[in-house]
Amino acid sequence: MSRVLVAMSGGVDSSVAAALLVEAGHEVIGVTMKTFCYSGTEDAGKTCCGLDGIVDARRVATALGIPHYVFDVEEDFTRDVIDDFVDEYANGRTPNPCVRCNSNTKFRDLLKRGRDLGCDRIASGHYVRIERDRDGRPMLARGLDPAKDQSYFLWGLPREMLPHLLFPVGELTKDEVRDRARALKLATAEKPESQEICFVPTGNYRDLLEKKLPAPHPALQPGPIVRADGTVVGRHAGFAGFTVGQRRGLGGGFAEPLFVLEVRPDTGEVVVGTREELERDRVTVGELNWHADSPEPGQRVRVQLRYRAPAVAAVVEELHGTLDLALEEPHAAVTPGQSAVVFDGERVLGGGRIVAAGVSAALAQR
Amino acid sequence: MDPVYLDYAATAPVRPEVRAAMEPFADDVFGNPSSQHRWGRAASAALENARAEAAEALGVRPSEICFVRGGTEADNIALCGACRALGADGSHPSLVVSAIEHHAVLHTAERIAARGEAGLTLFDVTAEGDVDMDRIREGVSRGPALISCMWVNNETGIVLPIERMAELAEETGAQLHSDAVQAVGKAPVRPTDLPGLDLLTVSGHKIQGPKGTGLLFVRRGTPVEPLLHGGGQERALRPGTEDVAGAVGLATALRLAVEEQEREAVRLGELRDRLEARVAHGIDGVMVVGRDARRAPHVSNLGFEGVNPAMLLINLDLDGVAASGASACQSGSGKGSHVLEALYGDVDGRAHVRFSLGSGTDADQIDRAAAVTREVVSRLRAIS
Repeated sequence: MSRVLVAMSGGVDSSVAAALLVEAGHEVIGVTMKTFCYSGTEDAGKTCCGLDGIVDARRVATALGIPHYVFDVEEDFTRDVIDDFVDEYANGRTPNPCVRCNSNTKFRDLLKRGRDLGCDRIASGHYVRIERDRDGRPMLARGLDPAKDQSYFLWGLPREMLPHLLFPVGELTKDEVRDRARALKLATAEKPESQEICFVPTGNYRDLLEKKLPAPHPALQPGPIVRADGTVVGRHAGFAGFTVGQRRGLGGGFAEPLFVLEVRPDTGEVVVGTREELERDRVTVGELNWHADSPEPGQRVRVQLRYRAPAVAAVVEELHGTLDLALEEPHAAVTPGQSAVVFDGERVLGGGRIVAAGVSAALAQR
Repeated sequence: MDPVYLDYAATAPVRPEVRAAMEPFADDVFGNPSSQHRWGRAASAALENARAEAAEALGVRPSEICFVRGGTEADNIALCGACRALGADGSHPSLVVSAIEHHAVLHTAERIAARGEAGLTLFDVTAEGDVDMDRIREGVSRGPALISCMWVNNETGIVLPIERMAELAEETGAQLHSDAVQAVGKAPVRPTDLPGLDLLTVSGHKIQGPKGTGLLFVRRGTPVEPLLHGGGQERALRPGTEDVAGAVGLATALRLAVEEQEREAVRLGELRDRLEARVAHGIDGVMVVGRDARRAPHVSNLGFEGVNPAMLLINLDLDGVAASGASACQSGSGKGSHVLEALYGDVDGRAHVRFSLGSGTDADQIDRAAAVTREVVSRLRAIS
């Protein structure tokens, strides 16, 4: 059996992933990436860091009888993930920091360090599977548990990395993972799911933006809330607080429910409208990455435009530099900055960041 | 291969004599030393015997020994307490500290300065172990002064010129504290020989005593304000019901470490030289930190060119050699060593490993560790 480096976040999924690898007879090395300092105040910053995740991962690793190390990737994480997150909101888009982290920081770093430690394989606790295409080449596929599937977050992995990856929990449901953890009496068995973005533990990302952006920044300045025809219907406290499809925070008193249709960083306007106005059937995707041969114009694919949203049918209109997709049915809240992941059935063909969304002439007339 | 422990400067196993001496206090001798009854008297007698034993090992008076709960605590009491006492008359004390101190001293000194309780002068130490005496004099002249200078540096084994410090302290009337955590048992530590030395830190677990034990030597007549307040134990300098078992364990470990110091220093010095010769044999780009300095015999800090520090340490661990990076407290942080930076400036591109030897180290272990180290360094250089 081979030597495997497993990324342990201190959560139950990666704990069980490590346990399954040990059971399978691999020589397993656990690592936790220290991505940022939790104790955010300037004074405490120097003496970080009592990160719960690191402590829990070490307890589990020790119980499993495997070594465990901490990799400090704070510098790369700050540059590639946090700064990008701030930059995207400052430009009126809605970032996917987990995609950035997986694509640019976590797996690249693991593979490089794995090589230094004599590991052939890299593993994590993501709910995805590795399947083989007709030529026997590995491809990412959705995790078995549809409620937990995390393939949406992994389209950015470089293709050449796929042969080195193992995802032991992708074949299990969340309940099965918890049962395994309980049976093994792992310290993380009952640990609750982490829902928030790891570097915004309070869930309030505006605080982070205020800290990171030079004041006064247009993204945090008050501005008008307008309808598509330009009618001003209210005021907002900064467009960085809004994401397409959002209903909260617009104030009440409208005759019908209103949603954010668009954020316009140039004018500081947040455009709102009805549910019908929110629908888009044309999507442009940039920063593309393919795990298979890229699709041809005219090819039918399925595309997932949000985490937990179902994949929808689309036709490739054009592909050079960016990918233009025509959706077969209109889709609500197609959000610039979010990922568009292209599937062939259960398998990830590739993906990119949504650059723009529009409506076809047919939809505009409806 | 059986794993080799070469991290004795991080901590050392409790020796059997220490465990045996502590045994009764986990059992029937459980009294509070402050109690008058027979249980209390038994505990009190044990505590004072331990104090006498520790005092004798250092050649000082029992009343000059204050038992505390570790080296960090002793350093904090020494620096904060002496500075407060020096500033009690409204004057602004001057704290003069070497740039290569353990963080227990350095961070404490920085906090004292940040709170405005003293001015802070940091002085440099060279890779040869020389100090900047002019800078120290300048610092001492700024007010009622406390110099804090470690006896042996924990990351490199470099011995600092504590005798010269003591002379300067005597001459100028400045107070002198020395963190001797890495010196005790490895170098002759006799405060009686240095009349200018007022305060000295000793830690239990570095000399095979129990963790969480330590003592502060406070020369008679040295004013130190307590940081904690309570029942008046340890002459009110460190109140709280005494850890009798810990004090007994520490005193036993200290006595044995001092008794064996001369012999052990020769033995460890030979093993260290053997390690350094064998690691460097056949590979280039190996640097011995403090090669030209006076060094304690148990620490060897080696720098390897063209190797990632974290990967070197992890590979050593995976292959059965336990050593540490800068010093164990920081080795998870991935941050560079303030000591190496102070000694050499930039250490970028070199991976430093601290091997530290102790009671259980023998020639066979040294040879195996050297072979593994050579192999790992060559392997990592081949990959990159």
